[in-house]
Amino acid sequence: MFASHRHRLSRSAIAVGAALALLLAACSSSKSSSTASTPGTGATGKQAALIIARGMDINSLDPSRSYCDTCQIFMTAVYETLIGLDKDNKTLVPRLAASWSGNSAQTEFTFKLDPKAKFADGSPVTSTDVKFSWERLKALKGASSYLVGSIDTIDATDPTTVKVTLSAANSAFLAQVNASYLGIMNSKVAQANGATLDPATDKAETWFLSNSAGSGPFTLEAYTAGSELRFKRNDNYWGPNPAKFPEVIMKETQQAVTQRQQLEQGAVDISMQISADVAKGMSGKDITVTKVPSFNFVYLALSPGVKGGEGLTPPVREAIRKALDYKRLVDVTVSGDGRPQASPIPNGFVGTEGLAPPQQDIAGAKNLLADAGVTSLSLDATFPSLNVYGVDFSTAMQEVQTELKAVGITLQLNPIEISVWADKITKDGIPVTMLYFAPDHTDSSQYVQYFGLLPDSQWQTWTKAAAVPAETDLLNQAFATQDAAKRADLYKQLANAMINDQIIIPIVNPDLFLASRSNINGMRYSACCNLDLSQLSRS
Amino acid sequence: MKRYLLRRVAVMPFLLFGIITIVFIVSRLTPANPLAAVVGTRNLSNPAVVAAAKARWGLDQSVPVQYWRYIVNVAHGDLGTSFTTRRPVLSDLWDRLPATLELTITALFIGVTGGVGLGVLAARKRNKLIDHIARLFALIGSSLPAFWAGLLGLYVFYARLSWLPGPGRINPRATPPARITGFFTVDSLLHGDLSTFWSVLLHLVLPASVLGWGVIGIVSRLVRASLLDEFSMEYVRVARAMGLRERAVVNSHALRNALLPTITIVGFAFAYLITGAVLTEIVFSWPGVGSYAVDASRNLDFPAVIGVSALGGGAFLLTNLITDVAYAIADPRIRLS
Amino acid sequence: MSTTIEPLAIGPRRTSRRHRTSRRRRTGRPPWLRGPALAGLIVLLAWVVVAITLPLWTPYQPLLPVAARIKGPGWPHILGTDALGRDVFTRVLWGARVSLPVAGAVILAAVVLGTVVGAAAGFLGGWVDAVLMRFVDITMAFPPILLAMAITASLGPSIKNAVIAMIAVWWPIYARLLRAQVIAVRQRDFVDSAVAIGASRWLILRRYVLPMSYTPVLVNATMDFGQVVLLVASLSFIGLGARPPSPEWGAMITEGATNFYQWWIAAGPGMAILLVVLSFNFLGDALRDSFDVKDDS
Repeated sequence: MFASHRHRLSRSAIAVGAALALLLAACSSSKSSSTASTPGTGATGKQAALIIARGMDINSLDPSRSYCDTCQIFMTAVYETLIGLDKDNKTLVPRLAASWSGNSAQTEFTFKLDPKAKFADGSPVTSTDVKFSWERLKALKGASSYLVGSIDTIDATDPTTVKVTLSAANSAFLAQVNASYLGIMNSKVAQANGATLDPATDKAETWFLSNSAGSGPFTLEAYTAGSELRFKRNDNYWGPNPAKFPEVIMKETQQAVTQRQQLEQGAVDISMQISADVAKGMSGKDITVTKVPSFNFVYLALSPGVKGGEGLTPPVREAIRKALDYKRLVDVTVSGDGRPQASPIPNGFVGTEGLAPPQQDIAGAKNLLADAGVTSLSLDATFPSLNVYGVDFSTAMQEVQTELKAVGITLQLNPIEISVWADKITKDGIPVTMLYFAPDHTDSSQYVQYFGLLPDSQWQTWTKAAAVPAETDLLNQAFATQDAAKRADLYKQLANAMINDQIIIPIVNPDLFLASRSNINGMRYSACCNLDLSQLSRS
Repeated sequence: MKRYLLRRVAVMPFLLFGIITIVFIVSRLTPANPLAAVVGTRNLSNPAVVAAAKARWGLDQSVPVQYWRYIVNVAHGDLGTSFTTRRPVLSDLWDRLPATLELTITALFIGVTGGVGLGVLAARKRNKLIDHIARLFALIGSSLPAFWAGLLGLYVFYARLSWLPGPGRINPRATPPARITGFFTVDSLLHGDLSTFWSVLLHLVLPASVLGWGVIGIVSRLVRASLLDEFSMEYVRVARAMGLRERAVVNSHALRNALLPTITIVGFAFAYLITGAVLTEIVFSWPGVGSYAVDASRNLDFPAVIGVSALGGGAFLLTNLITDVAYAIADPRIRLS
Repeated sequence: MSTTIEPLAIGPRRTSRRHRTSRRRRTGRPPWLRGPALAGLIVLLAWVVVAITLPLWTPYQPLLPVAARIKGPGWPHILGTDALGRDVFTRVLWGARVSLPVAGAVILAAVVLGTVVGAAAGFLGGWVDAVLMRFVDITMAFPPILLAMAITASLGPSIKNAVIAMIAVWWPIYARLLRAQVIAVRQRDFVDSAVAIGASRWLILRRYVLPMSYTPVLVNATMDFGQVVLLVASLSFIGLGARPPSPEWGAMITEGATNFYQWWIAAGPGMAILLVVLSFNFLGDALRDSFDVKDDS
């Protein structure tokens, strides 16, 4: 009896299952994922696909809209900029542009495109494409559009000549042209798929999520948000840096520990976000972990102009700066794998040579507070609960809280989600908070524009501190000259001016851990582009 | 019955509409700024960029206008475009649903088979040691934080013992099978790719077991209780008195009647599975609807949050309906009015 | 909805009420003072005592580093130290001071709100009843975690907003319960006569409805308590509830997940959740059997 019952049940189950399968098959969209025949598990032949574990923060794959750390890697691999960056992270080298020149006033720049340059579809890279790419970047007002904010007009004088006129002197322009977001797209292909110069009519963003129109060593093969980003070698690649892998696959892997495990077990070739704590335990002769200095940093920001921040007078801000134990902060946040940073311009950028690292001076801090008549001070310290570059903000803020307690300053810690933080800081401001910065290009001006007390700079707006006209003057002078020594001197003055502002107090400049299987070569951190996939190979 | 069914189905769109409205209102009450996710913190005080982003995502309109536009779009089958993935929410859900279904169906299978087995065992050995162990195991399953159990499982079976693969649906070096159903197990079989099938199956074991344990808890308690009820009934005693073997008594008579209430529990288990799937997907980096929901909530991705809520609510309502109808069909004593 | 079977898979209760519990009459102590239920009761009382008295005797502070970072279990740190060098065992115990009051507040608020709405719907009837109950239907049509996530995400993740979200998830159950009780009471003759001699609704509510509702509400609340603890921890785990440095169990497990190889950081809080929820389940089961509460919402 039961047997027959079970029989009936299983038959109907099969029928239901089959119907369901048919239904799903009928409904399933025609787009299928990759059909490339990657060898199965464990294949690590020289030509097998390269697998990278990374927590991806992609906001868009549209060149005019993308703006994120992973986007830098993507843009560098798929789209090329006119100017490249050498391995020293300083020297600009030809890429799509064979040569360039600027007038002495730093207001006009002319680029000669390499006539050999061609897109992945075989068509040549012309001045029209440059004009369209940059004009679209500016017109769509995406997050990276500030990089072309100084451009007034772009003239495609002939197919290989681009003349750019700026609205003001900008000696940083060439460095900005090197920023990965200024990569050039194939204007014909882009326009055929909905790209326009008007945000109201532009419809190309969705197309760019599954297609690419660049000239770089790779093309976009497929992207599945939250899962994987696949690159395919560009067989039409024209330049000096061809891809050494037929396929590169970036796998969404959020946790550093998972990245480590997958690397140790050989499931991936590269793990990009190993934190200091996790790197400590890494073992195995097949794995190489390189520690390199980075340009990223985490900082404390003091807002004297906002409600609740009135107590942050100049002597109090200086006392806070002196009360912090920078060495211990580096130990606590990144297990000592990093260093203190003197000014908001990170170590290694123009203007930072010879700046003394910050020193703890408890007695000095106490004197300053005593002279100012401050016996106890309580401040709201609302901060985004983030974990970037291996630095856990909660950990860092708790350490800051403990150290400031020693001089009589009390922080009320309040970790909140970044979106809530963003609302609070744009509306009311926050007396004491914490944030991070990674460079978009190699020029020191980006730091002054963001951290300096220029009118309407990001942090002048947020801290409501009085603008410092001298900083605007210095920056304009720096923008107006290409002379290296003069620029170095001006940026050093700016760095010192920003230190004296006591608004931005860098906490730690963490090292970066590049972890890979030992047979992977070419792992290198680039100031413009994060990781250049074309440099990677397997031995 | 037919009228009842019609009424239940007719009410569903209104409930869905209510869900969408509530989430919409709640999300617009927010003191948070969704633009942080859209433009990045570095552009928040750049008026041009902020204005462009607001215009692009319709956030420059008043809330009633936003609501009206959204409802009109929904009526046209458009759930909006996600702020973060920049794709239509409907496509996102469509791409991610199979991963979640594959996980939950496997977990349900583990839960129901394991639960029935355990329940029968416990009922037959009532008040013996094995009964107590089985009940404790079941109760732990429904008391266990799924995310913690997942971490523990990963630590023991992946990191320490290397018996099972780590997070994700498939080995990172393997190519996911081309989509037919979106179920990697089914698709790899349809493509005749046994090595991929094996890899996918191994990846399913740990998350589905973690998720299924809770269902075992729910199902086994019910099966045990119903079986004990049946055992006390006349016909079982008669059957036993007639000398039928215990196994036959349980299998052919009592179990069939006792399984009836289990049908209802499947709908109930589904509610548990939705909660569990959200947490399990996070722990196992499972690219399904649950992890999508969490990302959307964290980033204040309004269209995605509403879309996921509507999907979850709809699935919930549908399962409840199916459960009730199935129960009514199975048990003629129940009349739906 | 006027069906003879109520869809039970809605609302946060994780345990079925529909099955017929086998009635086993035993002599002696009531079921909730026997076996597992007694064990659960003792464990819960111990947690409550710890939560209340902890500041008096703990040698360590939950938020301050006391030793080297990431040290394995040993003496005197029996559960080791975490990424900041804080004593994990202290933090686990301290977690009870977060989770238990939070869960208590959620249940209490849900009961009060549910009582008010349910009583209003039951007494006023008509369109008030219809509107309130449709609202209850919609709220209960959400998978609980999705509604809680939507609310906490919108209000901003914090333990306070997680509490608000969970009250919003839980109150409809009690509203249905109370409404059913009110309607049941109103159908009785003696209530009719009470109304006839001019008794106010408030009096009827106080004298007849509330005493009758006491038992089912108590049983439900006991069973739900553990589930609230679980959901608070879940919300915190995905970053939508308590935030670090709060020694909340779910948030601590998140910290443990980033320090995956240091298993002791997550082990303690996980066990704590399991113990508390398990105890409530034992106790709730026994209470339900003892009072024979049916699914009569």
